[in-house]
Amino acid sequence: MALDAFQKRRERQTLLLLLPALIPLVILTIYPALYAIYLSMTNEALTGLAAAKPRFVGAANYFRLFSDGRFWNALFVTFVFVVGSAIIGQFVLGFISAVALRRKVIGSPIFGAAILLPNAAPEVVAGFMWISMLAGGDHATLSKIMMALGLPWTDWLQTFPLFMVVMVNTWRGIGTAMILLTAGLSAVPSEVYEAARMDGANPRQIFTRITLPLMAPTIFLYMLISTVSTISVFGLVYALTRGGPGNKTEVISVYIYNQSFTAFQIGYGAAGAVVALLVSLTLGIAYVRSLKVEV
Amino acid sequence: MAGVPLKRSGLYTAMAYLTLIVISIFCLLPFVWMALASVDSNAKLFLKWPDSITFDHYIKVFAEENGVRWFANSLFTVLSATILVMIISGLGGYALSRSKAWWKQPFLYAILLIRVLPSTALLVPLYKILLTANNGMGNMLRPLVGENYRSFMQIFGFIDGYLGLIVVLATGQLPLALWIMKVFFDGVPKDYEEAAILDGATLVQRIRRVLIPLALPGLAAAGLFTFMSAWGDFLLPLILLSSPELQTLPIGLFRAFLRVNEIDYGLLAALATIYLIPAVIAFSFARRFLVQTFSGGVKG
Amino acid sequence: MTTPMIKLSGVRKSFGAVEVIQGVDIEVEDGEFTVFVGPSGCGKSTLLRMIAGLESIDGGDLILNGKRINDVPPDQRGIAMVFQSYALYPHMTVGQNIGFSLDLKKVPKAEIAREVGRVAELLQLSDLLDRRPAELSGGQRQRVAIGRAIIKRPRVILFDEPLSNLDAALRVQMRAELQNLHQELRPTIVYVTHDQIEAMTMATRIVVLNKGKVEQWDTPIALYTDPVNTFVASFIGSPRMNLVSGSIAGDTAGQVFKADAGWTARLDGHSVAGAIGQRATLGIRPEDIRPVDDVAQADLSGAIAIVERLGAETYLNVRDGQDTLLVRAQGDLALSPGAPVQLALNHSAFHLFDQSGRVIAA
Repeated sequence: MALDAFQKRRERQTLLLLLPALIPLVILTIYPALYAIYLSMTNEALTGLAAAKPRFVGAANYFRLFSDGRFWNALFVTFVFVVGSAIIGQFVLGFISAVALRRKVIGSPIFGAAILLPNAAPEVVAGFMWISMLAGGDHATLSKIMMALGLPWTDWLQTFPLFMVVMVNTWRGIGTAMILLTAGLSAVPSEVYEAARMDGANPRQIFTRITLPLMAPTIFLYMLISTVSTISVFGLVYALTRGGPGNKTEVISVYIYNQSFTAFQIGYGAAGAVVALLVSLTLGIAYVRSLKVEV
Repeated sequence: MAGVPLKRSGLYTAMAYLTLIVISIFCLLPFVWMALASVDSNAKLFLKWPDSITFDHYIKVFAEENGVRWFANSLFTVLSATILVMIISGLGGYALSRSKAWWKQPFLYAILLIRVLPSTALLVPLYKILLTANNGMGNMLRPLVGENYRSFMQIFGFIDGYLGLIVVLATGQLPLALWIMKVFFDGVPKDYEEAAILDGATLVQRIRRVLIPLALPGLAAAGLFTFMSAWGDFLLPLILLSSPELQTLPIGLFRAFLRVNEIDYGLLAALATIYLIPAVIAFSFARRFLVQTFSGGVKG
Repeated sequence: MTTPMIKLSGVRKSFGAVEVIQGVDIEVEDGEFTVFVGPSGCGKSTLLRMIAGLESIDGGDLILNGKRINDVPPDQRGIAMVFQSYALYPHMTVGQNIGFSLDLKKVPKAEIAREVGRVAELLQLSDLLDRRPAELSGGQRQRVAIGRAIIKRPRVILFDEPLSNLDAALRVQMRAELQNLHQELRPTIVYVTHDQIEAMTMATRIVVLNKGKVEQWDTPIALYTDPVNTFVASFIGSPRMNLVSGSIAGDTAGQVFKADAGWTARLDGHSVAGAIGQRATLGIRPEDIRPVDDVAQADLSGAIAIVERLGAETYLNVRDGQDTLLVRAQGDLALSPGAPVQLALNHSAFHLFDQSGRVIAA
C-alpha cells in the first residue's frame, strides 16, 4: 500500500537524520575502543624499533601490566581518588549543603552560587588555583590557615599529595552533588513529611526512615554517574601534580597518558587503557540498568 | 521539619548557616586568590592583599603574550564544535525520539555507555586514526593547494589542525547532547507535527517553522553543556595541537605555568580569569538544565 | 440521495497482530454532525486519525465526496482537525496560529490578516490575536484550535476529544458554542468523545464503537430508545440502564419475563412468542421504574440500599436478591436505607436481549 511505503520512507528518513551522529560516534569512539584492544596486544611504540615494525605480542602486555607495581599503584590511587572525592567528599558535603539550603536561610542563592562556582572552573584553572592554595612555600595559604588553627607548618601538597588531590576534586563537585540531591529532596512531597510527623516521627527518624529511603535511588544514580566521571578525570590531576610526587597521585588516566605519551609505549599504554575501559563499562552497564531507560 | 520545637529549630538554623558559610569559603577561596592576584602588581603564589591595584596583567596577556590568539582559537574551535553538536544532536535526537525501530533501544544504551568511556583510554587509538585521516587529507590537499599547503592543513588537518580538534571535541559531547535532545523531543507532543501536516507544511517547513522553534530550549541546553565541556577540555588540545599559532587557552595557561623561573603569577591569574569567565557565564545559564539532564549523566 | 461526504466501507487497521479497526462501514452526510463514541481503546481516535490521514488504512475504502482518498496525503484531503491537546504552536501568537496554514501556502499577508480577522470575530478572539497560547484560558485555547481548523474552509472538521481538558462548566458552554458554530457554518463534523452526554447533546448521528467494531449507528434518540444490544443499552443513557438476567416464560395471559431473583413481569405488547423458554436479559431504564405504595400495582419488592436525594429527583438503589436496581423517581422521597419498597415497572419500556446481548424485542 502506498501509505505503508510512506511509512517505510519515514523510517528511512529517521535513519538518515541519525546518520550524522552515528558516523562520528562509530569512527571516533567505538572504533578507537576496539582498536585499543588490538593495540594492547602489540608492542607498538612511538620511538625505537617497534615504532617501525609493531609486532603482535598476544597477552604479553597484560602479563607485564599485572606484574607492574606502578599499574597496581595507579589502580589503588584511582580507587582512593574516586571513593574519597566522589563517593565521600562531594556526596557528604553536597548532601549537607542541600539539607542546609532547605532551611529558609537568608542569602541562599548566594550560598548556592558560591558552592556551584568551582564546577564552572575548567580543570586547568582549578589545578592552577589550588596550587596557590597548597604550594606557595612558607606562605602557602592552606599552611597559614592550618597554623592559625594551631597546627605546625606543613607543605601539604608534598606531605599528603593524594589527600590534597582528593580534596581539590571534592571542591569541584560539591555543587553538582548539592543540586542533584536538592532535586531529589524536593521530589519528596511535603505531605509525606507531614504524615510522618502526624505519626509521631522525630526529625532524626524522619531523616533515616523517610528521607534516606526515598532518596536512595537518586543517591545510587548519583554515585554511579560521579564514579564513572571521576575515573576519567585527567586535567585536574595533571595540572596539579602530573601524577607526582613520585607516583603518589598517578590516577589511571594519568598513568595511561604517561605510558603512552611520555614513555611512548603505545601498546603497553593501550593495555592499561583497556583495563580502564572495562572498569568504566562495567560501571556503565550497572548505571544503564539502574536507569531503566524508557524508550 | 518546621514542627521541631522552636529552640532546637533555631539551633538547626544556626548550624545550617555555619555549614554553608564554611563550605562557601572553601569553595570561593581559590577564586578570591585568583581575582586578587590578577590585579596585584606584586602577585605571589599565596593569598595576599594586592600591593597596588593594576590591570597591567590583563593588558600584558593580550599585548605581550598570545592571549588574543589563544582566546580566538579557543572560541573558534569550541563554538564550531558546539554548533556542530547542536545541529547533529537536534536531528539525531528527533529521530531517536520519534523512531519505533528495533535498534532504538540498543542505540540508546550504546550512547550512555559511550559516555562513560574515559577519554584518556581512547586517546592513543584516536590519535592513530586521526593521523591516518590527516595523511589522507594531506595527500588530497597537497596537489590542490600547492605552496599554501601548511596553512590549509592548519585549518583542515586532523592532527595539529582546527578541523580535527573541532570534530573530536564535538564527538565527545555528542552522546550527552543526543540524550538531552531525545528526552526533550519526547516531551514535545506529536500533535504539533500532525497539526502542521494538516496545515499543509512540508518536511522542511515543519522543521524550520515548527520543530526548531519548539526545540530551542533543548538545543540551548545541549549547546550550553557542549560549550562548557569543550571549553574546559584540556587533554584534546594538549595532544592534538602543537603549532604555537593554534594553541588554545588551556594550553597557553598550562605552558605559561611550566616556564620555570620566570613565572609571573599576576599574568597567569589574569589569563586564568579570562579563561574562566566564558565558562562561568555558560554555566550560569546551564544551571537550570542540570537537574533535567541528570539521567543523561551530566557531571562536571 | 446525494453522495455522502464521507463514506467508510470495510475499513480495517492493525497495529502488529492486533486488529484495532475490524471492518467499519459508515456514511456521513454533508453538513452532518457525527459523533464517534465508545469506551477508551475502542478505536474511535484511530478511526478519526485514519480519516485525517495520520494513520494508514490497511483495508477497505475511505471515500470523501465520491473520491477514494486512502492514499491522499493529509494536507490534500481538505480536512481540518482539532486535537485533544489543541497543539497550538507555543512560539506563535494567536493570529499566527490561526493563519499558519495560509502562510504556508504563501497567501498574501493582507489576505491572511483579513481571513484571520473574520475567523477571530466569529470565535470572539479579536482582542486576543497578539497573545501567545500560554496566556490564554482553556476555553480560549479551544477556540483558537477551532479557528485554526475553520480558516481553511475545510469540507470536513475532525474533533478528537476536544473538550476533555476543560472543566465541567466550561465543557457545557463549549458544547453550546460548538453547536452554534455548526448551525452557522454547516461544516461536516466528525467528533470523537468517550462522553455519551457530549454525543447525545451535539450529534446528528452517533456511531457507537466497541473493540474496533460499530455496535450501532443512528440518531441519538434512536440509540436511546432502541439500542440493538446490551453494550449500546448500557453505554448510552445516564444513569445506566438496569440489566436483569432471567428467562422468558409463557402463561395463559401471554409471555412473561421471569427474573432469576424470582419476580415476574408481563411483557405487554412485546412479541417474543418464539423465544419462550430462552434465557434473556431485561433492560429497563431507571426512570421507567417507580416506587409504589400499593402492593397490587407492584412488580417486585426489595430493600433500599442507598438513597440519593437531589431535590427534583431521588435515586434509589434497591436490592432484590442478587440484583441491584437503580430507580430514578420524580420529586423528593423521604426514604431511608434498609426500608422495604415496592417497585412498579413501565412494561412498555422494556428492552429484551438474548444471551449474546442482541435485542429480541423493544
